Amino acid sequence: MADEAIFLGTVFVLVSIGLYCATQKNMIRILLGIEMILNAGNLALVFFASRYSSMGFVDPLGQSLVFMSIVLGGCVISVGLALIVNAYKQFKTTNVRKLRRLRW
Amino acid sequence: MVMAWELLFMFSPFIVVMAGLIGERVKIAKLREIVAIVMSAFSVYSVYNLYNMIQATQNKILIVTLGGAPPLGACMEIDMLSIYMAFSATLLGLFATVYSYSYMEHDTRLTEYYTLLSALVASIVGVSFAGDFFTFFVFWEMMGITSYVLVAFRKENWGPIEAGFKYMVMGAIGSTLLLLGIALVYGMAGTVNFAQASMVLKHQPLSIWLSLALIIFIVGFGVKSAIVPMHTWLPDAHPEAPSPISAMLSGILIETALYGLTRVLNILFEPSTFQMAIAVLAVLTMCLANILALLQQDIKRMLAYSSIAQMGYMLIGVSAGTSYGLMGTFLHVFNHSLLKGMAFLSAGSIVHEAKTRDIENLKGIGRLMPITSLCLFITLLGLGGVPATNGFVSKFILFNSAIGEGMAWLAIVGILNSALSMGYYLRVMLTLISEPIESLKGLKEAPPLMLGVTVAMATLVVLFGLWPEPVISYATEAAKALIDNLPRYIKVIIP
Repeated sequence: MADEAIFLGTVFVLVSIGLYCATQKNMIRILLGIEMILNAGNLALVFFASRYSSMGFVDPLGQSLVFMSIVLGGCVISVGLALIVNAYKQFKTTNVRKLRRLRW
Repeated sequence: MVMAWELLFMFSPFIVVMAGLIGERVKIAKLREIVAIVMSAFSVYSVYNLYNMIQATQNKILIVTLGGAPPLGACMEIDMLSIYMAFSATLLGLFATVYSYSYMEHDTRLTEYYTLLSALVASIVGVSFAGDFFTFFVFWEMMGITSYVLVAFRKENWGPIEAGFKYMVMGAIGSTLLLLGIALVYGMAGTVNFAQASMVLKHQPLSIWLSLALIIFIVGFGVKSAIVPMHTWLPDAHPEAPSPISAMLSGILIETALYGLTRVLNILFEPSTFQMAIAVLAVLTMCLANILALLQQDIKRMLAYSSIAQMGYMLIGVSAGTSYGLMGTFLHVFNHSLLKGMAFLSAGSIVHEAKTRDIENLKGIGRLMPITSLCLFITLLGLGGVPATNGFVSKFILFNSAIGEGMAWLAIVGILNSALSMGYYLRVMLTLISEPIESLKGLKEAPPLMLGVTVAMATLVVLFGLWPEPVISYATEAAKALIDNLPRYIKVIIP
């Protein structure tokens, strides 16, 4: 029971920090926030995989999902970084509050 | 059962990229375009073949396993609903690819463009074929990544970059929340297979973890399907993307998110648990999107808001929770993919020729580009739900299903919104038929290939408006596969 409180509490804290970071001004910080929410999901998967253990081995299903989601997260973040580089070329800033030309 | 040849079309991005690289090296003009068009036509043909194979099986469900039996290995479970979504996606993909031939002529980096476009179609097909959360999530992220890049494709302008960044942030938060939801389902059910998770979770009372998963799924899918509190990326991303991509995004991508929402909610929960929440979201989506669309000056932006409103109509069928309501939803998905795809493509032809998206500056374009404008006219009538177009049939079924489930207020709100939406469609129609203004003098009709695509889609719209039986029976089978035949869906995996 103590394990559950610690792990799921950490997941909750990570999601909250990630969502808070995603509302910040700096583009890099927004990407880090996304990465944090992703890692909260990964942590939850690893923890649940350890609960479904049999004969001392954890469930491989959850672990394989985590591997795949780390790779996919890397892809999303790299696309995001490429967009930030292009946005910096266009707007000369990494402040998202300056990206406000599209309204309504 | 493992089979490869019918699913070969999902590898078309690799073939397109190779053709593109070879064509660049040995200077064969238009090789990649022709290969991309051939591959997308091949995709439609393969989906038709798969449809025949499914009709031949006993349960009308095909299982394709990748690495081991379903509990552990990834699997694709193709039922009538999956093949229905895949057919819509590949058909619109074919239209968009043919249209891009002329539309993207003067752009650079076309190899990347066609590769990403066919990857987008392949990933949408993958999402609808997925039989477990693992496969689903992989294709979901692939769909997201390709569409982020395609929205920001014209990176030398500030608009696409800003829209693409906004879309990327919101889409990535949505899909990471989805991963959290999948983790919760895995924690509760011990499996990520749709059928097995359904067997464990469907009949459980709503615990706190299940309701948390429900909220996370609605938010995670809601971001991609632009349900109202999470819609803010869509009106930026759609106008800034190249027109064939706007057609793909609006015509099938947001509907794929809706498919995911419907599939996951119906598999994991009883309809009564989410009916009310979806109904409230539907009302919010319809009302806000229609009011905001009235204020738009940009023609593509107006069509983007109209897509959000159409998403509200589709949610009515999901909230009804019966197979009749879902039949309306999926019928509207197919019809909307034709209607809105055609709207964006014909508006794209106009923008391509007139070089402006402002409705005021397009006055009288109908007299200069009669055929394109006639297509736009037909599709706007269809979006407004005028009889003799296919939009009328699906809207009628949707509102009917809401009344049948005792939610007459929802149908009334829908009908009022449908009337309100004519307000902005009629404004565009009036612009099309008025006297031409000075700045537009000397415009010519769009190139023949673009014209051909829009005319073909207009023909389909009117054809399925006047003769809707084949699509209705197809959509009925699709909706039944989700609701009534769910036990069969489970039984195929767990004998």
